[in-house]
Amino acid sequence: MGLFDLVTGGAACAVPGSSSSNPLGALANSLLGSSSKTQERLNELPGTAVTAPSTSLYPGGDNQLSTLPGFENEEQELRRPDAQASEFLRGFRGADHGGFSDAWNEIQRPQVGPRDPALRGAPLPLPYAEFDRVYENGFQSQPQPMLDGPPGMVLSNFLHSFMRSSSTGVPFGPAMLPALGLSERDKLCIRDRSSIMARHFFADKSEEFINAQVNTLLHSLDIDSDFRAKGPIPGRYPELEEYWNESQGAIQPVVHNPANGWINEFSQQKSLHNDSEAWVHMFEQQHGANGWASEFQQEQSQMTSMNQINSANMVAMEQTRMLAHTLSQNNNPKFQNSKFLQFVSKMSRGELIVDDNQIKPAGAFSSVDWAEEYQQQHKGAPTSWANEFTQNELSHGTNGWAKEFSAERELHGSVDDQWVNEFSKLNVNDWAEEFGHQVGKGVAGESSDWLDGYNEYLSEQQVVKQRSNSSRGGYVFSDMNPYVGHPEPLKEGHELFRKGLLSEAVLALEAEVMKNPENAEGWRLLGITHAENDDDQQAIASMMRAHEVDPTNLEVLLALGVSHTNELEQAEALKYLYGWLQHHPKYGTLAPPEQSDSLFFADVAGLFNEAARLSPDDADVHIVLGVLYNLSREFDSAIKSFQNALKLKPRDYSLWNKLGATQANSVQSADALLAYQQALDLKPNYVRAWANMGISFANQGLYEDSIRYYVRALAMNPKADNAWQYLRISLSCASRNDMLEACDSRNLDVLQREFPL
Amino acid sequence: MANSTLKSAALLDQMKLHLSSDAGKGLVKKIGLVYQLNIAPKKIGFEEEVFVVDLKKGEVTKGPYEGKPDATFSFKDEDFIKIATGKMNPQMAFMRGAMKIKGSISAAQKFTPDIFPKPSKL
Repeated sequence: MGLFDLVTGGAACAVPGSSSSNPLGALANSLLGSSSKTQERLNELPGTAVTAPSTSLYPGGDNQLSTLPGFENEEQELRRPDAQASEFLRGFRGADHGGFSDAWNEIQRPQVGPRDPALRGAPLPLPYAEFDRVYENGFQSQPQPMLDGPPGMVLSNFLHSFMRSSSTGVPFGPAMLPALGLSERDKLCIRDRSSIMARHFFADKSEEFINAQVNTLLHSLDIDSDFRAKGPIPGRYPELEEYWNESQGAIQPVVHNPANGWINEFSQQKSLHNDSEAWVHMFEQQHGANGWASEFQQEQSQMTSMNQINSANMVAMEQTRMLAHTLSQNNNPKFQNSKFLQFVSKMSRGELIVDDNQIKPAGAFSSVDWAEEYQQQHKGAPTSWANEFTQNELSHGTNGWAKEFSAERELHGSVDDQWVNEFSKLNVNDWAEEFGHQVGKGVAGESSDWLDGYNEYLSEQQVVKQRSNSSRGGYVFSDMNPYVGHPEPLKEGHELFRKGLLSEAVLALEAEVMKNPENAEGWRLLGITHAENDDDQQAIASMMRAHEVDPTNLEVLLALGVSHTNELEQAEALKYLYGWLQHHPKYGTLAPPEQSDSLFFADVAGLFNEAARLSPDDADVHIVLGVLYNLSREFDSAIKSFQNALKLKPRDYSLWNKLGATQANSVQSADALLAYQQALDLKPNYVRAWANMGISFANQGLYEDSIRYYVRALAMNPKADNAWQYLRISLSCASRNDMLEACDSRNLDVLQREFPL
Repeated sequence: MANSTLKSAALLDQMKLHLSSDAGKGLVKKIGLVYQLNIAPKKIGFEEEVFVVDLKKGEVTKGPYEGKPDATFSFKDEDFIKIATGKMNPQMAFMRGAMKIKGSISAAQKFTPDIFPKPSKL
């Protein structure tokens, strides 16, 4: 039941006395703890001050999850969901994993209690627990299925074996389970959280492996993994959806008819006039089978006799034309006005003809002339006329239609182009934009557009609200936190962070700071977790709280400097980095306190350089210097500083990421990718490094690759807003507009299927 | 740009470097337009700093463009960052008056978040 509650975020964690501590946490501690092993790496932590001396923030390399003690020999017997606790315990009593069996006992207690009074520690009558659960689960119309002892225990065992499969790397086998009577809501919770947790557990495994694991789990629990993909978006904007559906019927004809009408008309016209042949055909229809061409030919044959006579004239005209041309080139004004030239030019234009050595005006033969001239111009072939016509039509006609059509559409404010649309229709933008969309797509029934647009607007507003909150230093807590009521959330969060379960760690640490708002360490760790989870706004908000409680904490000051640098807030970043120097026990004397009001970058950098000269072996000074140079965009110096620091702390994953980010920002993307890879080898769940890899690929124009990394980062932290925005840009740049909807509705299932890493 | 305290200046510095990369050269080939950005710290039109993103020559410079830019944008520092990082849709920004545009509309349409490099996080 313990694990079930943890995974589902159920209420039992909050029930006083149901268990003395969070059972999963205790179990996980003893399973994954191995604190002695990681002890020696304590000095390589990103924040060196650690509260509990027996634990370490540092995950201890990439082999940590596969070499934990006490795992190698047990998976078989416990795979069976009905494994007896006693058997299990017997198997472990020999080895000294006391913690493990303690944890196990703890989990057992609530279920075993009623049946075995001797084991009952804190005697909480089970019905009360159930009552509380029903109460907490809200006022659902259908009664919540009662989780009596045995099914709860089965589920708990089952989830344990799932977790255990993470450490062994053995694929998780499906199991037949009795009907557990899970509600839809429970199923949804299990599905969501197990897939996020699985990605943390199996960060070093392939995507297919993770999906197979999760699917097996869900299948065994009879949970549909496509749950959300199939149904409507659960509960997000139900009223809006309803309203939309309602209005759909009424609006659709109005909106669509004009669009369709125009499109139909246009395509009709197009099919009539599109190809050049069509015009010829139409022409032929109007003017008889052979049309003008044949008419022209007839006329020509009638005049053949005259042509024979006129052929002489033709020659003469040709010659006089050339003569006239030559003469007109002559600049002599006298010559220009001479009668001879006038005569010649008249001859050339055919106004005068020479007939039997007599010069006559050309009236009688005008028709012949016309024909002649026409033929000359068109080199005799009657088809050329038709050709020319179709050519003209090609360039003028069809295009003309299209132009005319689009011009008309513009009049009606329904241009494909949204921009133009907005320029011309400032105030009716909603209607116009939507209409433009639909015309642009040319399909009816794209009903989701309105909804999308509205959702976008809403989420944007939410972001604005959050932003204004966090700029005031307000921290936004998650709702439905299963760690609320946990006896030691700080320790729990610390452990989860160390194991790389960042999103879980956030929840545990939030529970801690809700309980103890004055705990600087809780806030600090929460801030670091948010930063690693790629959420600088929340990181700043929690670090601010830590700073309020403990204004001289060096890690807090450095973290604030880094986060403000990331947010491009230069003045704030400089202030905190200077504060770091001021409060440092060794370098504090370097920094005169009266300077802190008017800071100039060059002064601060000078002070830090002095500090670095004083103690070149202090990695922290190099780190701060690296951040400072990032602030002033002197990337080469920044890279050098981080490289110096890495010589002293080669296993600090956050330092590798800093180096990578600096290299990426100074367009050395290939080097950056290597550095990120180092960071991820040391900490496979480092969401920030995954997201940064995506950014590096995108900045190189490799959008397809970037999408995979963004999706990977988001699978581990679906709350990383930046990554969602960047993912959207990459999708449209990679011409994957088909996936934009999945991105906008934050449907990770679809995205992960489409873009496995 | 190093002496500017605007967030946008930091991003435009990165843009400058970005334009020397292969992806940046691709932008010059693809877009080939000159944009002038008037960026105000608090309110549009007040204490503006002027930058030119020249996607014809592939440069970013401070100060007004000599000649006629294809399009001129005015926004607040924060809003420019939002647009360049994809937090705000340029069309939305324009509709809400968070962005003002002068010049060719077809040039303005090509001013999209994907032309700016994304800052990586330390």
